[in-house]
Amino acid sequence: MDLVSKYQGYVGRVFGNENSDSNEDSYVERLLDRISNGKLAEDRRTAMVELQSVVAENRGGQLAFGAMGFPVLLSVLREERDDVEMVRGALETLISALTPIDHSRGPKNEVQPALMNSDLLSREADSISLLLNLLAEDDFYVRYYTLQLLTALLTNSPTRLQEAILTIPNGIIRLMDMLLEREVIRNEALLLLTYLTREAEEIQKIVVFEGAFEKIFSIIKEEGGSDGGVVVQDCLELLNNLLRTNASNQVMLRETLGFDPLISILRLRGSAYKFTQQKTINLLSVLETIQLLIYGGQEADPSRHTNRLTNITALVKVLDQLLMLGVESQWAPVPVRCAALQCIGDLIAGHPQNRDLLATKLLGEEPNVESALNSILRIILRTSSVQEFIAADYVFKSFCEKNPDGQKLLASTLTPQPQSMTYAPYEDDVHMSFGSMLLHGLTMSESNGDLETCCRAASVLSHVLKDNLQCKEKVLRIELEAPVPTLGGSEPLMHRMVKYLALSSSMKSNDGKSSARNTYVEPVILKLLIVWLSGCPSAVQCFLDSRPHLTYLLELVSNPATTVCTRGLAAVLLGECIIYNTSTDSGKDAFSIADAISQKIGLTSYFLKFDEMQKSLLFTSAKPALSRKPLTRSTAASMAEIEDVDENEALDQKNDHPMLVSTFDLQFVNFVKQLEGDIRDKTVEIYSHPKSQVAVVPAELEQRNGEADADYIKRLKSFLERQCLEIQDLLSRNATLAEDVARTGGSGSSGHERRPSSGAERVQVETLRRDLYEASQRLEMLKTEKSQIESEAETLKNFAAKMEAELQSLSNAYNSLEQTNIQLEDEVKALRSGGSSGGGMSAKDIEALKAEAREEAQKESEAELSDLLVCLGQEQSKVERLSARLMELGEDVDKLLEDIGDDDDAGLGEDDEEDED
Amino acid sequence: MSYAYLFKYIIIGDTGVGKSCLLLQFTDKRFQPVHDLTIGVEFGARMITIDNKPIKLQIWDTAGQESFRSITRSYYRGAAGALLVYDITRRETFNHLASWLEDARQHANANMTIMLIGNKCDLSHRRAVSTEEGEQFARENGLIFMECSAKTAQNVEEAFISTAATIYKKIQEGVFDVSNESYGIKVGYGNIPGPQGGRDGGNTQGGGCCS
Ligand SMILES: Nc1nc2c(ncn2[C@@H]2O[C@H](COP(=O)(O)OP(=O)(O)OP(=O)(O)O)[C@@H](O)[C@H]2O)c(=O)[nH]1
Ligand SMILES: [Mg+2]
Repeated sequence: MDLVSKYQGYVGRVFGNENSDSNEDSYVERLLDRISNGKLAEDRRTAMVELQSVVAENRGGQLAFGAMGFPVLLSVLREERDDVEMVRGALETLISALTPIDHSRGPKNEVQPALMNSDLLSREADSISLLLNLLAEDDFYVRYYTLQLLTALLTNSPTRLQEAILTIPNGIIRLMDMLLEREVIRNEALLLLTYLTREAEEIQKIVVFEGAFEKIFSIIKEEGGSDGGVVVQDCLELLNNLLRTNASNQVMLRETLGFDPLISILRLRGSAYKFTQQKTINLLSVLETIQLLIYGGQEADPSRHTNRLTNITALVKVLDQLLMLGVESQWAPVPVRCAALQCIGDLIAGHPQNRDLLATKLLGEEPNVESALNSILRIILRTSSVQEFIAADYVFKSFCEKNPDGQKLLASTLTPQPQSMTYAPYEDDVHMSFGSMLLHGLTMSESNGDLETCCRAASVLSHVLKDNLQCKEKVLRIELEAPVPTLGGSEPLMHRMVKYLALSSSMKSNDGKSSARNTYVEPVILKLLIVWLSGCPSAVQCFLDSRPHLTYLLELVSNPATTVCTRGLAAVLLGECIIYNTSTDSGKDAFSIADAISQKIGLTSYFLKFDEMQKSLLFTSAKPALSRKPLTRSTAASMAEIEDVDENEALDQKNDHPMLVSTFDLQFVNFVKQLEGDIRDKTVEIYSHPKSQVAVVPAELEQRNGEADADYIKRLKSFLERQCLEIQDLLSRNATLAEDVARTGGSGSSGHERRPSSGAERVQVETLRRDLYEASQRLEMLKTEKSQIESEAETLKNFAAKMEAELQSLSNAYNSLEQTNIQLEDEVKALRSGGSSGGGMSAKDIEALKAEAREEAQKESEAELSDLLVCLGQEQSKVERLSARLMELGEDVDKLLEDIGDDDDAGLGEDDEEDED
Repeated sequence: MSYAYLFKYIIIGDTGVGKSCLLLQFTDKRFQPVHDLTIGVEFGARMITIDNKPIKLQIWDTAGQESFRSITRSYYRGAAGALLVYDITRRETFNHLASWLEDARQHANANMTIMLIGNKCDLSHRRAVSTEEGEQFARENGLIFMECSAKTAQNVEEAFISTAATIYKKIQEGVFDVSNESYGIKVGYGNIPGPQGGRDGGNTQGGGCCS
């Protein structure tokens, strides 16, 4: 009685004293009193039955029981073991007290009596070990109810029970023994163990020590393997719990049983075309096991890597089963096929032997045998499921990664096709080579106008070309005949791809709003081109061979109708046309591309496209490979049913289309980031180096041996002219850059559109503003430097004019000298003829005098010329520095920038005037 | 991967006595000079031959630290053999043997074969426990005894193998019901169970596929 009154007080405090509750309180109290103090066995049993039913049916009853009942019932369990009926009753009552009654009724945040009671029970001293002890009782129901009670406890307060059970010697062993019991108990124990082993490494190890693997596999076998029921599912869930993050257990499985039992579960028996939902779940669970083993244990575990490799090597035996499930079986449901394909990809990723083995696999029966890779390609091109495409594409991604020989093998069959082949209908392609099938896929849209297949094939092609110059060059040489023979000759495959890219953009703009599909066609084709052009000048050449390509790309970069990623990728592609450009043709060289970008887009907004793309969710959340959630009883059904992503779901703003997610894997994202750096560097470099033709080589400025004066002067003059042109060139580039700076600054200030939405952003804006201020000061300096340069140029020009004038006067002087000379000679002649031989200057003297005068004049003009050239050189380097600095300048303050604009206009005006000189 | 028998071992004893090193020396023939505290339990396996029969040893190396005692106790019952290790240079590890033994007697099955190992015998200049003391403790408690060194590998093979040989002998004598796997012994696939007088079921657990 003491106890009861004590708990009553507790209940009053915790739950308040509503009337209904207090009714149940007193009822439960009376029943408990009868159980603990009753004298007649029969009466106590009846009380127990009544108690059980009130607790099972009534929230209030559960609450009241929780407050008072545990000590009473636990003492029954402890002290009245002989009275089986009482023990059973007590256990049933406890189960009811821990089972939620009805979630839907009552407010959400109300106390959940079942949860409360679990907590209270697990806090009762020694309650867990008492329950584990009951597992040794002879009575079947006692053991059965005890297991159920433990499961209920575990569902509600898992960690507490996990901790408690570890402190009880033989605790887990008892549970493991239950696996050898009759079916009902065994199944219950199985369920209990799956809960118990979730995220509890020590328990996982003990369970394995107790022979869990053998037991699990023998139960699965008894139950019919993958054809078995939910028990098989539970077994596999337990198995996966034991292996998921536990390298030690993985070693144990590998070293003792090996992986053969897994293979035999994967092997399809009997009616291979019948896949019930249960079978699907079972197969998905084994495939998860395979994946866990391939992963090798916990992320942070230092032994994971070696363990992973050893597992992969041992798992190669599974490949045939995986090919059966993922490729050959026509009846396997999509989720199973996807999971199997993913396992194949995981199995060959970074593992040369497995990769080569896959390349040699043949599927099908004579006469329709074909290589497994071809079959997978067919899935890629034909499946109606995006998920399946992604999984199959992952196989090729893994196959081609760091595998130049494999890539060459695939590319070797990519050869130009006769018209009839390329546009042939799809049927009967079993005998097609990999290359023909791929080309066929790439050009599919010619026959049906649908870019989906083309886009998928493009994805495969990008894997084949990645980092492989030889393959890139080979595919560059592929020419396709025009779809309609009358329309001109053939064109390179690459040009066809650009055409499809343009087509997909135009399809989108026609649609108005984009459909899910159109969000990925552009990025996928762009990725192909980016991969292709990377490190491959001849690909850049081929791309630029058609003038409209550049124009189209420039438009795409600044097309507001397309996505951030498309713009970003287009910008990357454009950048590759600069950094991998070795052309010297004007209009196609790196210079021209950079100029085109700066004129049509503006460098700042060009580079902004990169930033925007890198800030997108696709970039920031890129993952190395596909990942899956663990299968549990609660998630399994939904995972098995997903046939495909819903188009609407894919369009959901928060989730990018899975196709995009797989395109932007971590590798590609990193690759793009690195490219961006290169592009920035190269652009700066381009803008800071003059064209080679005007480079100053001092030696060339000297008069050459035997060069006539006039020629020399002419040469210098033309050189001056070229430099002048270059100065103008630089000035106009300078102006474009300044404009660009001005525009960005302007948009920054007029931009309340930008709305600093967070404190962090505001801080950033502040720093930017400070940067801008600094930049504007630097600009101011540059401006003065510039005007200096301009005035210098002016002076130089004056110099040049003066020099010319001097030269003129010199030659005049010379002429007059000569004139005088002739006169004098005439005079001499006259004198000689006059017979006089003395006095006056000899002809020799005159000659000497003349030479002296000439020399002097020449020296003078030469010195002045070289002065002029030095000045020009200096000015040249100033312009260089100026443009580099302008490049560095980011954004700008409004006020300042308006000033600059004015100044620049003025500057340009001056230039114009000079031109007219 | 086929074996005639599979034996489960545990290695127990104070922290730092060299349990993990003994296992590593036995499975990988390597020595690890730095002390990596074992957390919980670690697993190792190796095949040996006794009486021309392949025998698989599954070995669980337990953590010696007091705080892991409750976890490691769970491994006692299912083990056929135990290596109880002390460090001959640290007297206290020898003094604790009685409490380890008590734990083992309480939680393990009565037929568990226990091998007492005085480890680090390469450090004879720092010896704190004489060989005779070790021998005497073993004799008094019915244990097999050996001094070894995980560093030089001296006696390491012998320790594991002679434990296995003792277990094997017990099987031959019919001490175990080998069909009951809870003794830490498993009959391998395709093995004709050895003991003539044994009352074991002698079936192969329905595992049809011999390799
Ligand atoms: N000289 C020598 N040193 C040894 C020998 N065996 C182990 N050691 C050293 O003793 C230290 C402890 O060895 P461990 O094997 O990690 O000890 P442990 O018994 O596993 O310890 P816990 O995991 O904490 O229970 C290490 O620094 C080893 O290098 C040996 O035979 N000779
Ligand atoms: Mg250790």
